[in-house]
Amino acid sequence: MNNPRFQHWKKPLQTAAALVIAAGTIVSVSACGLGGDSSSSSSSSVSGDTVNIGVIYPKTGQYAEYGKLFEQGFNLAIEKVNADGGVQGKKLGLKYFDTQSDAKQDAAVAPKLVADKSIIAVVGDYASPASAAASPIFQQAGLVHYGFNNSAPTFTDTGDHVWTPQIGQDKYQKANADIVAKKAKKISVVYIENDWGKQAYEYFKEEAQKNGTEIVYESSYLADSTDLSPILIPARDAKPDAVVDIGYGPDGALVLNTLRDKLGFTGQYFGGQETKEFLDLAGDNANGTIITGSFSATGTKDSKAKQFVKDFNAKYGNNPGNFEVTAYQAIIDLAYAANKIEPTRAGIQKALKTVTDFPLYQGNGGTFKFNQSNRRADNIDPILLVVKDGKFEQYED
Amino acid sequence: MIDTLFSGLIHGSAYALVAVGMSLIFGVTNVANFAQGSIVAVGIMVAWWLGSSLGWGILPTILVVIVVTGLLGLLMNTAVIAPLEGRKPIAALLATIGIGQILDNGLQLIFGPQTRPFPKLLPTYNLQLFGVRFGTSDVVMVMLTGVLMVGLWAFLKYGKTGQAIRATSQDPEAARQMGIPVKSIRNISFVIGSVLAGISGIFVGLFNANINPMNGGTIGMTAFVAATIGGLGSIPGAVVGGLVLGVVESIGISWLGDGAHDLITFGALLIILIVKPQGLLGPKTDVKSEPLTGTFLGGGRPITLPWWANAGLAVALLATPFFFSDYLAGVGTQVAIYAIAAVGLTLISGSAGQTILGMAGPLAAGAYASAILTTQLHWPFLVALPAAGIVAAIAASILTFPVWKLSGHYVAIATIGVGAVMVAIIRLWEPLTKGSLGIQGIPFPTIFGQVLYTQQMQYLLDIVILLFALVVVMRLRSSHLGRVFEAVGSDQEASQALGVRTSTYKSLAYALAAFFTGLAGALLAHQYTYIDPTIFTSSVSVLILTIIVLGGMNSPLGAVLGSIILIGGPELLRIVPDARIIVYGALLVLVILFRPQGLFARKG
Repeated sequence: MNNPRFQHWKKPLQTAAALVIAAGTIVSVSACGLGGDSSSSSSSSVSGDTVNIGVIYPKTGQYAEYGKLFEQGFNLAIEKVNADGGVQGKKLGLKYFDTQSDAKQDAAVAPKLVADKSIIAVVGDYASPASAAASPIFQQAGLVHYGFNNSAPTFTDTGDHVWTPQIGQDKYQKANADIVAKKAKKISVVYIENDWGKQAYEYFKEEAQKNGTEIVYESSYLADSTDLSPILIPARDAKPDAVVDIGYGPDGALVLNTLRDKLGFTGQYFGGQETKEFLDLAGDNANGTIITGSFSATGTKDSKAKQFVKDFNAKYGNNPGNFEVTAYQAIIDLAYAANKIEPTRAGIQKALKTVTDFPLYQGNGGTFKFNQSNRRADNIDPILLVVKDGKFEQYED
Repeated sequence: MIDTLFSGLIHGSAYALVAVGMSLIFGVTNVANFAQGSIVAVGIMVAWWLGSSLGWGILPTILVVIVVTGLLGLLMNTAVIAPLEGRKPIAALLATIGIGQILDNGLQLIFGPQTRPFPKLLPTYNLQLFGVRFGTSDVVMVMLTGVLMVGLWAFLKYGKTGQAIRATSQDPEAARQMGIPVKSIRNISFVIGSVLAGISGIFVGLFNANINPMNGGTIGMTAFVAATIGGLGSIPGAVVGGLVLGVVESIGISWLGDGAHDLITFGALLIILIVKPQGLLGPKTDVKSEPLTGTFLGGGRPITLPWWANAGLAVALLATPFFFSDYLAGVGTQVAIYAIAAVGLTLISGSAGQTILGMAGPLAAGAYASAILTTQLHWPFLVALPAAGIVAAIAASILTFPVWKLSGHYVAIATIGVGAVMVAIIRLWEPLTKGSLGIQGIPFPTIFGQVLYTQQMQYLLDIVILLFALVVVMRLRSSHLGRVFEAVGSDQEASQALGVRTSTYKSLAYALAAFFTGLAGALLAHQYTYIDPTIFTSSVSVLILTIIVLGGMNSPLGAVLGSIILIGGPELLRIVPDARIIVYGALLVLVILFRPQGLFARKG
């Protein structure tokens, strides 16, 4: 365009371009007004023979490891559901949407799921800000948002279509504090600095105080910190009987390794996560660590959970942990809901309100139902795990 | 206490090792290499693979890492950095951000996403002092840092190539005339810098023990802070800066807790910049021109449209919500929100010529202000929205107040600190902001009693605010004030000589930019209905700046175009889910290479 020969064409060309863009915008898009897709194309039922569950999850980015574990659980569950005859004769499918668990991508992609009439429910996302950015859009459209990984206590506040089967942190941390009280009188506590860790620690502290456990040191840490010795040196110097970490797998291993290898702490450790990642990272240091969890692949006594572990091992070659089982169960539960009422958006919502025997793989197995006031599963019990010889075993005391 | 200090020194030497390579590249090529951390991550992952999967020892591992990262440095310079030579360094800076994205996501694709233990290539906990155990690896790392510093210094001072490197960094044109092969010299610097990063990767891996392919970003940012504290371009400075940062973090965190980590790291950066702007050991020479700013190639001119075309576009834009599907409107809200933030930024980073790398701060301030005003004081949305803009403008002005007396690239770097400190304050100010718990239940926007509950309604609101921002910014640009901004941006010295208080005008331009970004933050909060500090990361700051660089730094309309590409782009690229972010990074690099003045601007 810098060629002088074309200079006099510049203005008309630009003007023309602007006109084309303006006209194109108006003509090329389909009309639907400000009311949204759901109002203009009123609840048309799905005609095809496949219905789908929408998945918002981190396939790439910093949380991709969790996305991978979720995907393994989802895919295995879909195979099982379809092998067992699908949902009321229809095939159940999955539609994956990578969000990197980034709130702005969740907000952008959520309407796409809403517009896809074959999607009867949505599961995900990994992190709370991302899930919460999508929830209002699903709520608005009357599409169930099944946040199977969102244990934040306010997660379901967005509306009556937002559900989570996650064990609430109130319950989880009570179990945690109770086992700690049996083993230690004085403890140092560290927890991850995010919405989850903060809330979990508040519940833990409340119960620890009830139990008369003395917290001699407390500090939070950021997920991406690489050297935790500045907070763990005073944690050790407070001479606790045990150190408690409320966090995830990688950081739990970092806390443990720093305490054992660098700071020579030999007391009891509570923390970490029931993932293979945690065991790999902590190695021998993990032995004797007690973890409050929701699932034990080797310890579960529930027959369908045993079958799940067997199937999982056959497909992926290792035992499933917490993330795989919650992802698996999310699909199984929604398929169960679809079969009980009908495989539609309204059917799923109605089932979550009325069905009382959803298959439960976590905790002690059996079935569970939802508490209708807070849309959480309130009869799943946490279980205790102990690491022995590089493996998780159910802890009995 | 001694043990805390001691562990801080060891951690600091890990920072120092990375900072040395960063400072070398900066000193020689004047490129702030934001991909350096990602090259460290390449070193980490290659060493992890050789050490754990193949069981190699440390020496062959080091050799392979040197070859791989050296080649990578050469490729990076010849393919991307060298073609940008002669343009403003911000082009290269942004290109390195794109390269960093490609590298990080490429590593994740190749090696898988999990966090894993780094192989013990050297013993890591076999020694003890003051109750802290450390290992041969730490001792070697500390010695290596010292040896590298002295070696590099001697090489630059006495070596023939080293002298040529210094001559090139001082005046490439003169060096060329003296017969120095400037092209090869720059290649050599990049290779040395990358190899240093690769070697650091091995020791950072040994130190951190838990490693992940995505570690590069944090490592690079901390090393950049360390290098700046020591004085950018100074090799001994990088070492001192690393050690100082390590010790300050260690003592500060042990005192205030790790929640204050960012406040300590970036607070230290700000204090150093204000007290001793050239860093602890930086060269005293004042930087005359602003190397991290300006539009490319001496300033591209924004393309201007006739009034009726502008009006036509505005009408078309206002019509879009009535035609867009939910999905398009959902993407549209995100595009519009980021465009609003970016349109304001053209006033300071475009007109007034000051690169701002911390816009996540005002965005967070606006989001929190509106969220708190509506949920706790029950202000109506229409009142809270402008209030959010004003709060963001005031907060940004107060925090950046001491920054404007700085000169050169240090202002741009200081704004990184300001952005991070603003978010850190929000995290720590729990009684007001609920800290890490975040604020839930922020209401949808309500206009005169009408709740904007559909995507299209919110999109229409965002479009109206965007048009308002565009009109105000365009009017400002053609007003007297806009001319003054322009004068400050094109020649600060001359403006000062004419009696213009340049720092006051820059501050005003920044406050205006922060106002619009604050509006964008408020819109975002009321759309998500939930906010917490993890939403407002440094990558959001980079994103907002990248939007106007892509569109043309001087062009408000370009900011809209940039936002469509950068925010809408990842949505379009959903057809290639695995490589989505890599393709996105590559597109960014290509645009910077082939359309350096920005998309919606012509060469000046």
